[in-house]
Amino acid sequence: MDVILGITTEKEVIVITSRAAVRGVSILKTDDDKTRVVAPHTLLAYTGEAGDTVQFAEYIQANIQLHEMRNTTELSPPAITSFIRTQLATSLRSRKPYNVNVLVAGFDTATDKPELNWIDYLASRVKVPYAAHGYAAYYTLSLLDRWHRTDLTLAEGLEVADMCIAELKKRLPIDFKGVEIKVVDKDGVRTEKVTE
Amino acid sequence: MSGYDRALSVFSPDGHVFQVEYALEAVKRGTCAVGVRGADIVVLGCEKRTAMKLQDTRITPSKIAVIDHHVCLAFAGLNADARVLVDKARVEAQSHRLTVEDPVTIEYLTKHIAGIQQKYTQSGGVRPFGISTLIIGFDPYDKTPRLYQTEPSGIYSAWKANAIGRSSKTVREFLEKNYEEDMNREATIRLTIKSLLEVVQTGAKNIEIAIMASGKRIEMLPVDSIEQYVRDIEAEKEAEAAKKKSRAQTSSN
Amino acid sequence: MSRRYDSRTTIFSPEGRLYQVEYALEAISHAGTSIGILAKDGIVLAAERKVTSKLLEQDTSAEKLYTINGNMICAVAGLNSDASILVNYARVYSQDYLKLYNEDISCEQLVRRVCDLKQGYTQHGGLRPFGVSFIYAGWDPLYGFQLYQSNPSGNYGGWKATSVGANNATAQTLLKQDYKDDCTLQEAGELAMKVLSKTMDATTLTSEKVEFATVGKDKEGKVYCHLWKPAEIDLLLKKFGLAKKVEDEDDE
Repeated sequence: MDVILGITTEKEVIVITSRAAVRGVSILKTDDDKTRVVAPHTLLAYTGEAGDTVQFAEYIQANIQLHEMRNTTELSPPAITSFIRTQLATSLRSRKPYNVNVLVAGFDTATDKPELNWIDYLASRVKVPYAAHGYAAYYTLSLLDRWHRTDLTLAEGLEVADMCIAELKKRLPIDFKGVEIKVVDKDGVRTEKVTE
Repeated sequence: MSGYDRALSVFSPDGHVFQVEYALEAVKRGTCAVGVRGADIVVLGCEKRTAMKLQDTRITPSKIAVIDHHVCLAFAGLNADARVLVDKARVEAQSHRLTVEDPVTIEYLTKHIAGIQQKYTQSGGVRPFGISTLIIGFDPYDKTPRLYQTEPSGIYSAWKANAIGRSSKTVREFLEKNYEEDMNREATIRLTIKSLLEVVQTGAKNIEIAIMASGKRIEMLPVDSIEQYVRDIEAEKEAEAAKKKSRAQTSSN
Repeated sequence: MSRRYDSRTTIFSPEGRLYQVEYALEAISHAGTSIGILAKDGIVLAAERKVTSKLLEQDTSAEKLYTINGNMICAVAGLNSDASILVNYARVYSQDYLKLYNEDISCEQLVRRVCDLKQGYTQHGGLRPFGVSFIYAGWDPLYGFQLYQSNPSGNYGGWKATSVGANNATAQTLLKQDYKDDCTLQEAGELAMKVLSKTMDATTLTSEKVEFATVGKDKEGKVYCHLWKPAEIDLLLKKFGLAKKVEDEDDE
């Protein structure tokens, strides 16, 4: 019952992930970070089968960084997204596929635009203005349909994010122990806020 | 031809592995590279071949390669061999991060590179890497500057300052004479450039300098700043020569 | 048993040189000349073809110039059979990259990849080095138009104007003399043809003996790679005044 949620605004992408690590009905920890910075301007948020998720995210991270060291240039968010999709597609057809769903939040320094991509474990990829995986999607997409605009400022975007979080707190049957809110913009990735 | 240098990785009756020794010759034919450790930085200096008029300097590969954000490497010898070895090192650096969640230590990486080089002196049907390398950087959570060297044979060693490639002997002797413990940033860079000037007559345009400091990414010294160092060093040398001359005159008088 | 083949592997000479690589370079110095020139708005490649025959299908039998992908072409000098293996490798690799990242591979990355393969053939068991030098011309968003040269050792470098093959020293001198940093594609084309006419045995050029290609941007700013057809080359040669006059042809 992880929450992972992405919202693009005019100049950035806001990524919200829940802080609870859950196994069965137990909460294992309350300061879990469900994201990895894979490149200076790209953040990967993930959910899915425990174990698979971190393994996959770090595998992607290592490969993107290797690419960066080899070529002394950063891969663009669309290229990284494409790479991740290919990895999931290959994995899907292997003996033991990764069960991981991800959001790729990036800021494309070539076009000066934020970009959010939704990819599930079946390796379908969609570029979207806002997205969520799992149960979070049930409760937040309608809110986002109503309040999202492509020209949101960061402050407005965070406001919409707060509405989503409030709704999730109200509706989800399990306490997800607050969220980490991260922002990806032209300066890279930063943690905007951590709530309890 | 005795035959003991024809097949690869074979001892000659008097105990030489000729291919390895010849690989060292290839290193000596390569341009010179210098590494110097200061109190809290470590510097790599490289002799850069003069760019021909029609060369596109934007896209001509450098002799200094970044292996990971905290490690970099300079080489002397065959460029293509170095590229391939550097690539293997980069893969290892990331793979290490992935498996143990920590960046490589400089010694670990050096050992890995030397290990690969060693393998190519003992396996069938391959020739050794025709390169020596200088590896600099900082271990994770540590502020001690590190400098290592590897050779085609697979030997590796730690140094305070060292040189590889063309005329490395001259440069090493110069470093032995002029090295001081705990040099500050200025003095370290200066010594690196000064030692390179022992073999590079053409000055700043043929010198490349990379600086690493703890927790920071590699810094390539801009050409005009290298020029400034070269000018200062030359002025100082002239002043010294003049002093010597006048002293010689006074004594002869 | 395998020893017999091992001894044919590229190994160091006592002076630390790789003779096999140097011999490969020697082989290339007998091949037809290829020239590449970087202009501010594009790149030209021009090459001399050695096989000429009235019976040869001009349009479909390229000898010197090949397309690698949408952004890159190359000229080769040396053993053509070796070249076609490497060209194929480059083509496959660039498409693999496109498939993985949905983005074109950068020029240097592709050049380096092919060079790494070449390097392997100077170091690993039983194989002789590739007897071929390349000139690559391409465009990527990183550095714009770029010109590279590579040789059998696996070394490569970036150039503004360069040549490989027979008489490349002469060609290089001529290029050094006449190259201007901000020349246009048109001027670069003219220079390439002029240099080629001087390094070739024949006094005049025809589309039978010359291959020509350009990389540039069209009116919409889209990158194009164009391998010129014989008819187009003849037209170009006539324009530059390097074409053979009809009367001369009968004398031969």
